[in-house]
Amino acid sequence: MNGILNRETLVKWAPLIVLFILILFFTVLEPRFFSVRNLARIAISSAPALMVAIGVTFIIIMGSIDLSMEGTVSVSAVVFAFAFLALGGTILSWAWLALPLAVLVGAAIGFLNGLVHVKLKVPSFMASLAMGFVGTGFALLLTGGDRIRVEDEVFRGLLTERWLGFPVMVYVALAFLLIGWFIQSRTALGRNFYAVGGGEELAHASGLNVNRLRIMGFMLAGVFYAVGALLAVGRIGIAETATGNNFMFMSITSVVVGGTALWGGVGGVWNTLVGVLIVNVIGNGMVVIGLPGYVQDGVLGLLVIIAVVLSTDRKSVSFVK
Amino acid sequence: MSFIKKYIEQEKVNRRNFLFASAAGLGSFAAAGMFGPNMARAAIADPTIAWSYRNRTNPYWNEIVSGGEAFVESLGMDKDALVHLINEGSSEKSLADVKALLSRTGGELALAIDTNDAPNCRPVVEAVAEAGGYVSTIWNKTDDLHPWDFGDNYVSHMTWSDEKPAEQTARILLDAMGGKGGVVHLGGIASNNPAIERLQGLKNALADYPDAELLAAEPADWDTQKANQVMSGFLTRFGDEIKGVHCANDTIAYGVIEALRAEGIEDMPIVSYDGNPQAVQLVAERKILATVFTNPHWGGGITAALAYHAAIGSFKPSEEPNEHREFYGPTIMVTPEDAVAFKADYLDNVPTYDWTDFWGPTNGQIQYK
Repeated sequence: MNGILNRETLVKWAPLIVLFILILFFTVLEPRFFSVRNLARIAISSAPALMVAIGVTFIIIMGSIDLSMEGTVSVSAVVFAFAFLALGGTILSWAWLALPLAVLVGAAIGFLNGLVHVKLKVPSFMASLAMGFVGTGFALLLTGGDRIRVEDEVFRGLLTERWLGFPVMVYVALAFLLIGWFIQSRTALGRNFYAVGGGEELAHASGLNVNRLRIMGFMLAGVFYAVGALLAVGRIGIAETATGNNFMFMSITSVVVGGTALWGGVGGVWNTLVGVLIVNVIGNGMVVIGLPGYVQDGVLGLLVIIAVVLSTDRKSVSFVK
Repeated sequence: MSFIKKYIEQEKVNRRNFLFASAAGLGSFAAAGMFGPNMARAAIADPTIAWSYRNRTNPYWNEIVSGGEAFVESLGMDKDALVHLINEGSSEKSLADVKALLSRTGGELALAIDTNDAPNCRPVVEAVAEAGGYVSTIWNKTDDLHPWDFGDNYVSHMTWSDEKPAEQTARILLDAMGGKGGVVHLGGIASNNPAIERLQGLKNALADYPDAELLAAEPADWDTQKANQVMSGFLTRFGDEIKGVHCANDTIAYGVIEALRAEGIEDMPIVSYDGNPQAVQLVAERKILATVFTNPHWGGGITAALAYHAAIGSFKPSEEPNEHREFYGPTIMVTPEDAVAFKADYLDNVPTYDWTDFWGPTNGQIQYK
């Protein structure tokens, strides 16, 4: 193959093509799928997932993996809700401080995660998975199994207030997507993620403090998880231990389907945006055309395999473990 | 490093004692075994009381266990005296934990348990009966397994039939819709028995409403966020055709209400199930038209109480009629008219139950189809 249709181009644009085909497919079967109101619904369900997926994108670019998102999201959501209610219960009072507090909590969990991974030399998937369980347990300890309702009309404006047909939370997510893109492409931190993912020994040999970078990466991921937690609470008005449920499968699937390679160095936040949209378009579209839920899981599983197959240059990979 | 040496020595001794103790324990089982399983022992003076369940994250199980703790406290013990066996949704762990506790207590055990799935009930019950302990189960049990086949050791089984109550909530919903228009159902995990029964309840009610139609039924896995997304999809697919929403439980209803709020829809008739405190509050505000309370606090307490009192010999299970061995748990319909009173009676102040009134609130013997 050569010209336009070479492998690299295909891999680069495949996720976007898949997204367009899916949209076309669902629209043909049910024209109401492509209405502004439905696109807004897809955007609402995508917004929290996008934040979490962007967080883990940085880690995957480094060639590590982070599975702590469910615990981190739950803890951030619950701490936010408790602080928010304790400080007045409306954004217009001191309760707005709960927003940065939640982000700090996310960063702190990410920092711990990074420390365990780097200093104790625990593989990242194990360190983060364990930290995720710790987080879920801690959130349960805080709530005692109860749900905390966040009723403030101003905060819930994230969902109820709309500009051009889309709720505010969608614009917040877009803003953080741009921040993620800025970090990825315009800062030394972002470029170093790629350097480590592309070849850790090389990066280390050129004087990069890889350990420090990894810890920074996990902190940054924690920040994005916390933003995702805030949007998740904004979406359903409830913070609970279960707030983090499903984010692990959802975000890792999105990142992979979006074309970010699991061994690092390739991909980025725009891939993740496309991946998140693919996953949520399938989730929404299946219900809209009336296919049962298990078909949805099956289709997602197939897409993950196809995505990994496409993004793998099998000539350069000598063995798989 | 001497403290390490000391520790190892200590452990050796402990282990030796443990082995001796186990051997003695086995010996006594063998002796008891000679008199047949049903005469294993007369009464246990001070049995260990344990609850084996999924986990406490789920508000339902949290309520169940709080009932178990309330029962233990009613005996004048600290609530920490209740042993928690948490299976995290694994039948293997459930069984292994029970066996471990049986050998630790030498069978002096009063166990309340949901065995996680129906096939796991038999091995659990057999293990307890063999060791001479006492067990009461809830929810999961195969239809061919009966307490009366195990003499006194399998004390009781309680479950809840959700079909009738779900049918009642469906009627409330359909009446609120004026008896016509489209209904969507958001269900639990598709293979779960309560999920199947609750959907069936809706279908039963629909048979009497020829102008109403079930537009779609989709599993939402008992999950608020999943329900939120499924409801959004329904809104695109059916739009204004949806005149009412039948939810398999309260956590699903929360997601539905928020999906509707995002679209500015505030007056959609919704019914749900479980009677969680927040759902009852929403019923009082007429955001939900009905929910069904199964009193998990009482269920958790009475299940432990049955096993305990059988173990200490307060009553002899084998002398009780079958409807005292296998029975349906209580269900209470909560509607806007009585939500406030219900909340005051059952939720704001947890009633002090008489834990020896084992069968008062129950709903008759279990019927098999």
